[in-house]
Amino acid sequence: MFARRRFAVLKNLLEYAGLEPGRLHFSWISSAEAQKFQQTVTEVTEAVKALGPATRMIKDIRKVA
Amino acid sequence: MSENAEFQPRIAAFLCNWCSYGAADLAGVSRLQYPPNIHVIRIPCTGRMSPKFILSAFRKGVDGVWVSG
Amino acid sequence: MDNAAIAKGIREAAKKLLGEGKVDVVIGYAKGTVPMRDYPYFAYTPEEAENLTWSGFCCNNLALYAIRRPGRMAVVAQGCVSRNLVGLVNENQVKRENLYVIGVNSPGMVDRRKVQALFPGQTITEVEEVGDELIVKGVGFAEKVARKKVMRQNCYTCVQRNPVISDELIGGEGPASHGGNLDKVAAPWEKLGSSERWAEFQESFKDCIRCYACRDACPLCYCHVCFVDESQPQWCGKTQDEADVATFHLLRAFHCAGRCTDCGACESACPAGIKMRRLTMKIEKDIRDLYGYQPGMAIGAQPPMTLFKPNDPQDFIK
Ligand code: SF4
Ligand code: SF4
Repeated sequence: MFARRRFAVLKNLLEYAGLEPGRLHFSWISSAEAQKFQQTVTEVTEAVKALGPATRMIKDIRKVA
Repeated sequence: MSENAEFQPRIAAFLCNWCSYGAADLAGVSRLQYPPNIHVIRIPCTGRMSPKFILSAFRKGVDGVWVSG
Repeated sequence: MDNAAIAKGIREAAKKLLGEGKVDVVIGYAKGTVPMRDYPYFAYTPEEAENLTWSGFCCNNLALYAIRRPGRMAVVAQGCVSRNLVGLVNENQVKRENLYVIGVNSPGMVDRRKVQALFPGQTITEVEEVGDELIVKGVGFAEKVARKKVMRQNCYTCVQRNPVISDELIGGEGPASHGGNLDKVAAPWEKLGSSERWAEFQESFKDCIRCYACRDACPLCYCHVCFVDESQPQWCGKTQDEADVATFHLLRAFHCAGRCTDCGACESACPAGIKMRRLTMKIEKDIRDLYGYQPGMAIGAQPPMTLFKPNDPQDFIK
């Protein structure tokens, strides 16, 4: 529950700084909710797939050299 | 990977030991099918989750991060 | 009261406190060796207290030096510094009973870069303050500049120029704000799309040389080991690569969440002119909107990130 405030502020900050909405996901799933788990994995994967490969925030050694 | 193969994202999934990790287990036991793109990292509790982990994952090049409690 | 009179008042108060042995040190400002750069000064004796000053160039946040400091101390505090002191008391880094606050109404501090920008290519040798005007002097010129024109950006939107706590108030209370509306300017990128935001973010921070002056000037950054110095695991690389710079600034800003008083010390300290308040301001706006909290306004207030309410917003969670 403290984590909830942390996540809210962090998600807002990262998206404010230009991380695409849809790269970062949060969910609550209890250990009895296998259905919800399956459904959420699918949703998350679809959302990230739609965005394409990540280009931001990546530490790329080749670029630094 | 061939040119026209569909893009397969890599997603770091931080799952709480007691909640979502259990759900993943149950999903497995129940033989529910789900996309194989997630790379599961088990954490002792969602309270252990730090923004550092999320940024660290992005820095290492994952395409998405999913935190689940 | 003008700044010269306040400076005199601070010196007198300091001499009295040190003379009577009420405190071990008075932390204030002394006149810098270059114009517009008054610096933190520690007076341990009544004689040293003679060097204390007060002006529109007191850009450092003195609350920083109170952190975990042994013994009794007096700190010269304008609004933002007092708010940070309150924050530190609430976070158990400073004991209120060891702290004597010499409160001052802040005139609004001057951004030396803005003054220099008015005189391109010229060397400023002295800047004098007369009421609400600065007299900028250099070789062969002396010009008046209105303070309102060259204040630091954060001072325009300050809502607490008077100290929140003070054991002694020099010069009396003054106006509480400079009239700017923080909520209007706090998050300018909100109207942009994601790619534009990223471009703005990169542009804003690309000149950062990773000197950590911003961190060192900030009264919130008191961890024994900062995450940037951790090497096992190394959360943040030490290069000027965009990912490293972004990681550093995002995490630093995040660590200030619910605690930043918008004192502007970080921006004033930066040698590269980076505007890192662009991130902290946005976070503080979110905290105001989501949890209705403003940092450093009351002793005993619980920091918002150490609290939760059952009905905190969570529509972003599936
Ligand atoms: S982050 Fe900057 S503006 Fe905020 S309290 Fe620290 S030094 Fe002051
Ligand atoms: S003070 Fe400026 S240059 Fe130094 S680390 Fe901070 S933002 Fe970067």
